[in-house]
Amino acid sequence: MKFSCTTKDIAAAVGAASKVVNAHTTVPILSNVLLQGESEKIAVRATDLELTLEHAFPAQVAEGGSVTIPAKLFASYLGNLAAGTLELTGTPTRASVKYERSNYDFHALPADEYPPLPAAARGSQFGIAGRRFRDGIEATIFAASSEEARGAVLMGTLLEVEGKSLTMVATDGYRLAKFATTIEDEVSANEKFIVPSRALAEVARNLGGGERIEVSALGAQSNQLRMTGGDVSITVRLVDGQYPNYQQVIPAKFDRSVTVSTPALIASLRRAELVAGDRASMVKLAIANQTLIVTASSDISGNAYEELEVEQSGEDLTIAFNARYLVEILNHIKGDKAVIEFLGPLSPAAIRPLEPLETGQQLYVLMPLRQ
Amino acid sequence: MNARDKFVAHFDVDAFYASVAVRDHPELRGKPVAVAGSSRRAVVLTASYEARPYGVRSAVPLYKARMACPDLIVVPPDMQKYRAISREIFEIFERDGRTVEGMSMDEAFVAVEAATLDEARESAAQIRREIFACTRLTVSAGVASGKMIAKIASDSCKPDGLLAIAPGDEAAFLAPLPVGRLWGIGPKMQARLAVFGIATIGELAALDDARMRELFGSWWREARELAHGIDRRPVEAERETKSISTEETFEYDVSDERQLVGVLRAQALELAEALERAHTVCATVGVKVRRADFTVVGRQAHLSEPTREARRIFRTAVHCLRRVELQGAPVRLLGTRVASLVEGDARQTSLF
Repeated sequence: MKFSCTTKDIAAAVGAASKVVNAHTTVPILSNVLLQGESEKIAVRATDLELTLEHAFPAQVAEGGSVTIPAKLFASYLGNLAAGTLELTGTPTRASVKYERSNYDFHALPADEYPPLPAAARGSQFGIAGRRFRDGIEATIFAASSEEARGAVLMGTLLEVEGKSLTMVATDGYRLAKFATTIEDEVSANEKFIVPSRALAEVARNLGGGERIEVSALGAQSNQLRMTGGDVSITVRLVDGQYPNYQQVIPAKFDRSVTVSTPALIASLRRAELVAGDRASMVKLAIANQTLIVTASSDISGNAYEELEVEQSGEDLTIAFNARYLVEILNHIKGDKAVIEFLGPLSPAAIRPLEPLETGQQLYVLMPLRQ
Repeated sequence: MNARDKFVAHFDVDAFYASVAVRDHPELRGKPVAVAGSSRRAVVLTASYEARPYGVRSAVPLYKARMACPDLIVVPPDMQKYRAISREIFEIFERDGRTVEGMSMDEAFVAVEAATLDEARESAAQIRREIFACTRLTVSAGVASGKMIAKIASDSCKPDGLLAIAPGDEAAFLAPLPVGRLWGIGPKMQARLAVFGIATIGELAALDDARMRELFGSWWREARELAHGIDRRPVEAERETKSISTEETFEYDVSDERQLVGVLRAQALELAEALERAHTVCATVGVKVRRADFTVVGRQAHLSEPTREARRIFRTAVHCLRRVELQGAPVRLLGTRVASLVEGDARQTSLF
């Protein structure tokens, strides 16, 4: 193959793809990116067999074909080029790059050994506005579990499509994030996909800017999901398993609530957490007389006491939380005011923005600490 | 350094288990004796000084010990008896409100109040006499300005010895010893130093800054101080428990994963109980595997919420075991360890 392109285009595409490459892979060709030339485009692909990222960019293709190049090395090389045009010639064993007065030969591996894309037998598909999907991803995936020992299901994010609505849910068993939004096409069958959260992080990073993202299930058992926006496409193997019944753990009704300034509460919690110290980072929230009192204490550090003015409805309450979890949730609430609803000191609390986002409804559920 | 804690004494009972056996069975006196279990895989726990010239020492497999020393008399261990004796010895260490840092049942550092070396030596000698009077066991002791020198001194005068190193003489005492005697210098570093022709502590102490930095990285200043015999670590009465572990050496190698998982289940229960007793929870769970070829591999995982629940410990341990990727390789030993211990109860409640 032979093509020429701008250094900026190829550096962006190879840089994005190289992030998918598993640095510890034992299969040599999986350390490489695949470049495929066709008419006016070069498609770059990288995979770790679970997650595949394709990124196309415009090029003058003199001779079609394909080549594979070590991803990290090639991405670093391209990252060190100034703006300009380069010419690449690929053979099964070598990729030669000409750029201004420099010439590099990279060792290549035969492109026909590169793992093929999954068969394109399609299940259901729908389109969604890029901003909605990106906001949903940002609002939810942080709450997924990062503990492999607890299984892949909790490390994933649930995508539930029904009619014209999409609900995204992530939970690690201690907190839960939910985002409800609308899609652009109506789907006939209700579908549930458990998507590895890191794939969604790649989607937010690479496709979030696009107008519309196409989501389609692939494979005979719909065991893969492809998300495409503009020149980038991400394909991921779905998690096989039963997602916990999240609706059951979200209380239908609460009997008391506070409305509080989000930045003020975040700041108080962060300071109090310093004193709480140990792993559980326990802070207590006492609500009475339209005031929220945040306290924390430890034998080592001392005591913290913070007062915030809130709008309170319902009875007084004292409840304890892990400050880290509460701060992380509040950090994902866009807007100045948050509403926190309670049932009692040992029941789940719900947190949401007072003004919902334009792109969808956020809801968080957090379990308290036993005091 | 204040006058009160000027000296550190290190005490170590000579061939503890074997000496107890000889004490209680005088007919064994002067004979090669090894204390060892009776399983197929038993190793020597302690050997008497008479057995040591044959290469019989702790951790040597019993069958090898018997081959090396056909007259070896093997005595089963009696842990209950050892624990009772240990308590008596530690009571003597702790007399007069002395600070004691126990290293094992029969080994401890003791902070010695003394104005001069002679006074410190006499205190250590007194402790040795008291222990002998009470238990009829001999203890070797080293007295010095720091813990490391005290330990090296007591190791150097075994058995039934007492060696005191005067402040200022530390470097000269260490100089002829092999570098491996220094704390923190294991076989790997020893091999590295050997490449540079450094075999003794004196040779190490003579290196310049640049070479020290090259060899030891960020640790070079501490390494140099140790080589010069400067050791500022105090005797600490109670060492905080950092982890709890349990392990099992199998009578026969195990390749069946289900059997290994069964062992992990039992170990998780045991550790959950230990955590409960200690009023702590753990945030790290790890497993240790010794394969039949004696290679050891460990894996650990961090929990997002600390726990003392046996089920959580078990599931995490199984996950760690799978990450070892044994692929049917026979296993000789399997252990579970819990760490990142935090006092208190698991307080985070769960959604499901």
